[in-house]
Amino acid sequence: MATHTPTAPALEAAPVPSFHLLDYLRRFYANYTVRTIFKALVTIWAVITFTFFLIRLMPGNPVEVYVDFLMNQQNMTYDEAYSRAASQFRFDPDASPVTQYVEYMGHLLQGDLGESITSSGTRVIDQIARFLPWTIFSVGLGLLISFTLGATLGTIMAYKRNTFIDHTLSLISSILSAVPNYIWGLMILIIFGVQLRWFNVGELRGTYSPTMTPGFTLEFLGDVLKHAMLPVLVYVTGSIGGWMLNMRNSTIGTLGEDYVGVARARGLTSSRILLAYVGRNASLPMFTLLAINIGFIIGGSVIIEELFVYKGIGSFLYWSISQRDYTSMQGVFLIITISVVVSNLMADLLYSRLDPRVRVSGEK
Amino acid sequence: MEPILQFKNVSRSFKKGRIPIPVLQDIDLSVNALEFLCLVGESGCGKTTTGKILSGLLAPSSGRVLFEGRDVSKLRGEAYRHYRRSVQIIHQDPYASLNPTQTIYDILSFPLFRHKLVHNRTQARDRVAELLTMVDLTPVLDVIDKYPHQLSGGQRQRVSIARALTTNPSVIIADEAVSMVDVSIRIGLLNMLMDMRTSLNVTIVFITHDLALAKYFAWDGRIAVMYLGRVVEIGRTPDLIGEPQHPYTRVLLSAIPEADPQKTRSKQHILLRSEDIPRLTELPPGCSFHPRCPWFVEGVCDARVPQLAPVPASASASEVACIPLTEGAALTLYTP
Amino acid sequence: MTATTYEPTRQRSPHFFDSLFASLGIFGLALRRNRAGMVGFIGLMIYAVWVLIGPYLVPFDDQVRLDQIASPPGSRLVMITRVEDVSRYTSLDDLNGQTVGVLDRSGGETMVEPYEDSGALEVETERFSSGRGVPALLDQLAEGDVDAVVLFSDAAKRYLTPSSSGENDYPGLVVSNAELGRPYILGTDTQGRDILSHIVHGGTTLITTALVAGLMSTLIAVVLGAMAALVGGMVDTIVTAIANLVLTIPSFPLLIVLAALIQLNNPLMLALLIALLSWPVLMRAIRSQVLSLRERDYVEAAFALDLGLRHIILREILPNMMSFVAINFIFAVTRAMYDQVGLIFLGMVPINDYTWGVMLYFGRSRGTLFSPDSASMVLSPVIAIALFQVSMVLFARSLEEMFDPRLRTAK
Repeated sequence: MATHTPTAPALEAAPVPSFHLLDYLRRFYANYTVRTIFKALVTIWAVITFTFFLIRLMPGNPVEVYVDFLMNQQNMTYDEAYSRAASQFRFDPDASPVTQYVEYMGHLLQGDLGESITSSGTRVIDQIARFLPWTIFSVGLGLLISFTLGATLGTIMAYKRNTFIDHTLSLISSILSAVPNYIWGLMILIIFGVQLRWFNVGELRGTYSPTMTPGFTLEFLGDVLKHAMLPVLVYVTGSIGGWMLNMRNSTIGTLGEDYVGVARARGLTSSRILLAYVGRNASLPMFTLLAINIGFIIGGSVIIEELFVYKGIGSFLYWSISQRDYTSMQGVFLIITISVVVSNLMADLLYSRLDPRVRVSGEK
Repeated sequence: MEPILQFKNVSRSFKKGRIPIPVLQDIDLSVNALEFLCLVGESGCGKTTTGKILSGLLAPSSGRVLFEGRDVSKLRGEAYRHYRRSVQIIHQDPYASLNPTQTIYDILSFPLFRHKLVHNRTQARDRVAELLTMVDLTPVLDVIDKYPHQLSGGQRQRVSIARALTTNPSVIIADEAVSMVDVSIRIGLLNMLMDMRTSLNVTIVFITHDLALAKYFAWDGRIAVMYLGRVVEIGRTPDLIGEPQHPYTRVLLSAIPEADPQKTRSKQHILLRSEDIPRLTELPPGCSFHPRCPWFVEGVCDARVPQLAPVPASASASEVACIPLTEGAALTLYTP
Repeated sequence: MTATTYEPTRQRSPHFFDSLFASLGIFGLALRRNRAGMVGFIGLMIYAVWVLIGPYLVPFDDQVRLDQIASPPGSRLVMITRVEDVSRYTSLDDLNGQTVGVLDRSGGETMVEPYEDSGALEVETERFSSGRGVPALLDQLAEGDVDAVVLFSDAAKRYLTPSSSGENDYPGLVVSNAELGRPYILGTDTQGRDILSHIVHGGTTLITTALVAGLMSTLIAVVLGAMAALVGGMVDTIVTAIANLVLTIPSFPLLIVLAALIQLNNPLMLALLIALLSWPVLMRAIRSQVLSLRERDYVEAAFALDLGLRHIILREILPNMMSFVAINFIFAVTRAMYDQVGLIFLGMVPINDYTWGVMLYFGRSRGTLFSPDSASMVLSPVIAIALFQVSMVLFARSLEEMFDPRLRTAK
């Protein structure tokens, strides 16, 4: 804290520029939003760096595997394969890892994720732009439904705790969260699709019917929803149990708080207590979980999209791995990571809007 | 009397983020062998930290702690272990101070085996039984193989005391040792602690926020009054209670209700200038009590930090950290 | 006091056995109180027997049987004769000295083999694909060339029961013994092999790998978490930073990418890889647990009593986290199962073992997933995995109660 003493003007004049800039930066950084965004950027950078070196240091790094592939499949000499790999991977494999890294980061900062190895001329970033929206749409819709439904059921369980309803719903949510989502997917597919024929498995493949022309028509949107139905159903089934249990415990904790008791004593209506006191405070910790869950579901979407032949980013990742298209693979992985960091960031910012304590102290 | 534990200019601060919080500042204190010393102060005054530093569980940020005349931080090997065994602590919360996964026998026998005070299980069980008898937990067989959660709060606190006795300590630091047990059990526990002083030759440092309790139990001992990380007055109990010197001690004593309503009514109530206790991070300059002190002297109390010294104009032998008093001035109520 | 005054009345060490019995008692109590936990516990016991003993009891069926492809659960071999012979040929013994028709490379072949010595066995030498040789065989029987036919129930049913038009292709033929062979409880796969035997054998590697991965992940988490909390300083900063980093990276996609690079021939490698990507969540929880336990008064008392760091970690801190660690170990195992089966299902792990995961992979890659006839082939491993996961999670809940001190008071 600078105490301004009017008796020492000479001292104040000397270190002016650097002091003001630093001070300004410090004050800027003290802003919660700025600090959170800055931390997110640092995290993204750290993750990129970490995975870059991790993948390079693994036995059988992408370049080597690709060189082997070219030599075996296309009868190239080692040198040919090597130069081809170098051009595809956008860096000089002979350079030191650090130089490679600097070059890679340089390209990355320009939004350049390289070209697809297997279909040359296709930029990876374009591919991602084509597939990512579908994943965001289906995962987001699934999350929205399971969060809303799970939080509601969890609150009901907390209010009716230790009754038959609570025990039954607890058991159900345990079972729902215990079984892997793709196992639910398989069950739904086999039992309702193949055996009972409630829906036509073949028709529901893809993100929309091939006969449709994309556009903002009611027909097209209906078709899109129809195709997203199964993945969304599986995302909901797989994650709703966790929401229910967490919301239940969180609400029970909040119901025990003194301020809820005081609110009751003040004679507030139970619906007002539920909304303004219990609901708000009980759902706060859920936002951190929300962010973690987004990451987990996008990760798990690889299997679900593959299973339902839903052409999203997970399905594209699987495709690029099976095609040994390493540039696409790296690009997709990067985008998934960034989307996780961004969802974390959004959860943090949302949390700070809802919980004033976070904004002030910056720590939870 | 020989001091067994001594604080030489001890300070301690904790860091919260980047801001250090001075919890203790320049404390000089000696604990004499076999005495009953009470540390009294409101919550946050640093009395628990003092207890932890005395028992070696916490190192001072600066200053020295002497045990039997030797610097504790320089003790090594057997000398350190001797110190470690000699100073034991009894915690406040009987529910938190016993490990829930161990039986009473486990809790009391581990230190016995560790310090080779017993050599086999039969000896251990006998010694544990002896300790339990010492703290009036009889019949022993009802208690010895139980888990802490099967005992009542008072019983647990007795186990805590028995545990502190396992290593035959010469000093026991009782940190609010009775404040969490029922009032009806307190007297029994306190009398037991008092008896130990003579029967087991133990020095007791009793930490409490309750000056009335200190007055009652430490009549032949001493009381040190702490305020915001400093000792403001220290003296023999009859002196300190009978003729409180430091303004803070006077305020505390005037707040104790007397059993006799007549007395309570006639008691002079001293009004503080402010009810707010300053934050440790924003301590006022000079005497930290000055913003609240009714006898505040402008230009003196807010300028210089008072040191403990006897009051020349008084019959009391207490040492007081108050500049007007120690410099021989009479206290006059502050009028702005 | 005499030396034996405070000996317990029973002449055994109270220290070990008492606590053992006590914990068993608490365990029973916990299970009795938590019915879901009981179900989980029984489920896990069944899986343990299944994985440990099952493979010795049921041999792995690798026999390709062309007449039994993708047959529904409960299918078995039956004997077919002409109507007039229905009481003559009912058991295999009755066939001594008679001519029996079976399909080549079928289940019936092995069954009739012991009677080959009679010299009366006539085997269709033509190789038939599923069911195509059946009419020829039945024609022979109808014409009296063979006395009986041993055939798979699924195929027999198709020809001997009246079709929707009410017509029976072979009115002169009947099933004389419908229970000739043992039934295929879960049906057969696309190569006519017993699915049940695959389910019995297919869990061992999966469950072991998941347990090892869970164990490694928990071990890493406990060691690093305890270290970060107890040592503090730089160690804490670095471990926490790495944990946060790994936590940010979506582990399953990274697992796929790494699996594509490394040949995960060894289940142990797979377990290690899964463990290396899954420890951070638990590590952070353990770290905060140790941090809070370290501040407990009884730990402080142990420091004051100079009981030693070893004692403090092993006797004061760890026992109070055991329930937490045990429960999280189980969740780590279920996570590992998710990752492992997911990788296998996507075909990212080389196939060395015919596990439940591999069954799913074949179900997808060979398209049987979408065939109504072969539902059992995919549904069986699906249910095996689902029930295992559910048992684990329900059991974890009963563990939670088992270590609840309130239950002990009730003892």
